[in-house]
Amino acid sequence: MTAILYLIAGIIAFSLIMILKGHRSKKVILILHSAANIAISGYIMFACAIPETSGFFRVDHLSAFEAGLSSVVFFAASLYAGGYVTRLIETGELNPKSLRLFYGGFSILMTVTPLVFLSDNLALFWILAEITTVVSAMLVASLAARENIDAALKYIFIASTAMLFAFIGLIFLFEMSRTGGGAGTLNWSELMTMSQGFDPAVSLAAFFFVFIGFSAKSGIVPFHTWLPDAHSKAPSAVSAVLSGVLLNIGIYGIIRVYAIIRQVPETETAGMFVLFFGILTVFVASMMMLRQHNLKKLIACSSIENMGLILIGLSFWTPFAVFWVLFQTLAHSLTKAELFLSAGIIHRQYKSENPAEEDVICDAFDMQPAASVFLVAGALAITGTPLFPVFLPKLFILLEAIRFDPLMGLLILLFIAIASFALFRFIWNALSCRSDGAGIKKPDHYPVAKGMHIGIVFLLVLMLYFGIMVPDWFYNYLNMIISELGLGGAL
Amino acid sequence: MIDAVMSDTVRVILVLILITAALIISTRTLSALVRVYSIQSLLITILACILWFMTREDTLLLIAAITFAAKVILIPSFITGIQKKIHIRRDLEFSYLKPAGSIVVSLMLMLLVYVVFSGVFGSFATENPLFFLGSIVGVSLMLMGMLVTFSRKKTITKVMGYLSMENGVLVFGCFATELPFIVEVMILVDLIILVILTTILTIGIDSSLEEFQERLVRYHIWPSGEDEQ
Repeated sequence: MTAILYLIAGIIAFSLIMILKGHRSKKVILILHSAANIAISGYIMFACAIPETSGFFRVDHLSAFEAGLSSVVFFAASLYAGGYVTRLIETGELNPKSLRLFYGGFSILMTVTPLVFLSDNLALFWILAEITTVVSAMLVASLAARENIDAALKYIFIASTAMLFAFIGLIFLFEMSRTGGGAGTLNWSELMTMSQGFDPAVSLAAFFFVFIGFSAKSGIVPFHTWLPDAHSKAPSAVSAVLSGVLLNIGIYGIIRVYAIIRQVPETETAGMFVLFFGILTVFVASMMMLRQHNLKKLIACSSIENMGLILIGLSFWTPFAVFWVLFQTLAHSLTKAELFLSAGIIHRQYKSENPAEEDVICDAFDMQPAASVFLVAGALAITGTPLFPVFLPKLFILLEAIRFDPLMGLLILLFIAIASFALFRFIWNALSCRSDGAGIKKPDHYPVAKGMHIGIVFLLVLMLYFGIMVPDWFYNYLNMIISELGLGGAL
Repeated sequence: MIDAVMSDTVRVILVLILITAALIISTRTLSALVRVYSIQSLLITILACILWFMTREDTLLLIAAITFAAKVILIPSFITGIQKKIHIRRDLEFSYLKPAGSIVVSLMLMLLVYVVFSGVFGSFATENPLFFLGSIVGVSLMLMGMLVTFSRKKTITKVMGYLSMENGVLVFGCFATELPFIVEVMILVDLIILVILTTILTIGIDSSLEEFQERLVRYHIWPSGEDEQ
């Protein structure tokens, strides 16, 4: 019954946002809602008896982990959103009458996301994932600029049409469970127990369809084209959530169905398939990053690269690789959210008058010292610098790849190095630009609300916590997930 | 005897559904497009009723009722309403594929689906030829809808492509397995939200930015507010 707590908190928060007037009250309600979600997630992760099944929902270690992670990112984004939106209204980019739309939408997204992870039924998972697409597209379009509407529509069409393929895959799974066990089911927990009797060819077909759908949601190549636009055009609080939380939904769906399929004998081909798309994604993303001249787009492309790396790790399907895939999910979410929130400040500071032109970033350390430091920290973190949490999973997934095939491992290392180089070259150029004598006009100072910095610092502290030590409780938690996924023994 | 007649009728309807899909690919007038979609949905309603006669599974009757209400009446009238407001009558812009090319491509896709499904399903294909045909038509319809979504430029036509894809999933679902009723309802909820949102955004995409705010206010879709700077 714990899933219903999210729903209750969501309904209360949404109603209050709709009823109460004034920006300040909406801001406070949003933060309280996200704090409530963290509390519920904490309860689910540590206090409630796992696994717990009730109706369409089921709490196990993986779902609780993903729901908890999303709550943390939402909390940071909510702290940030208030100040950010205030400035959008001041500059006339957000219509004050659209505040309900923005905060209401954010609150719905915050309610639906944990429920996506907690749904036991794959059809329910599918529909809730679709709702997250629609609501987040609405948030991307909340600025009502032509580019934003464009990006939102592209997002909806690519993600939703692909999701219909996933549905075909789910119908396959349902039919297999019906012929195998009498009454058909779409509950993944039941599918896990009966999957060994599934037909290998139909299982693979089901997985391919599901993969098409969920990979579009996660921005895997070749369904990635919506991602750089949507993530870069969205208000930064939304970008952080898109990248830190919504991409995980697709990967989570893939993990669930992959776990079912890999229990069926003779379905190793699925692993090769996932590996191929993983490598392709990392390759394409790193090439895209080399050509990028827009900070937020660059960070968005880096998300594609990281999703590719997660797929690569997943393809090996060993307890070791999956452990680091899960760790990478956490590390990427925290880091990417931190990066988008910091980049949001820099972007607002240097936002070009003409949307077609790139922002000219100069004297960033003078104009926005804190945000510049956060940006550098985030860039160091995402490229896998030690003491930050991306370092270990990146290293170990690479080692696993090298163990699988040394040449392939080195190739992936090369792509990752290109991506890191592209990111650093951009940030170095941007932050080292000095206006002295260059004839560049200094823009007016962009005032940063306290909450915006607090949100970023909150994420940074968590990043350092997970980066400096792998906490024991977390190590055990991930091991529980691995055994529940049918991978047998823990690390 | 009755069974044979029923199966023949089902085959005829499946062919008619494919013809509507081809029409959706090639029609350029938007009002005709909506009408074709409405007919396609009506055919699926009839199909579900016939399948109910054959299998006596009550879910199919519910599916027929809900398809009729939502896809034959509700969604087409909503889109027609929006269309009148934004004054787009024809969609003559195509990216990648012109209608004739799309039809050739969709024929090839159908063939591909047939070959792949024959390989995957094996015994199911020979034991249940009618249901096998239905599954192939369903997935083909879906792929044809996808062609529309990605080859047309006007958003409202893209929405029609998506809707037709969803009809394909429904046909596939009816034939491949008996899905729980709740699943159909869920998809429908998704569909309605999606249609409403995309049509709202469509108003924006086919107008300049200044017009967008003005239009939203004029049609009472968005709350009124200050002008954009």
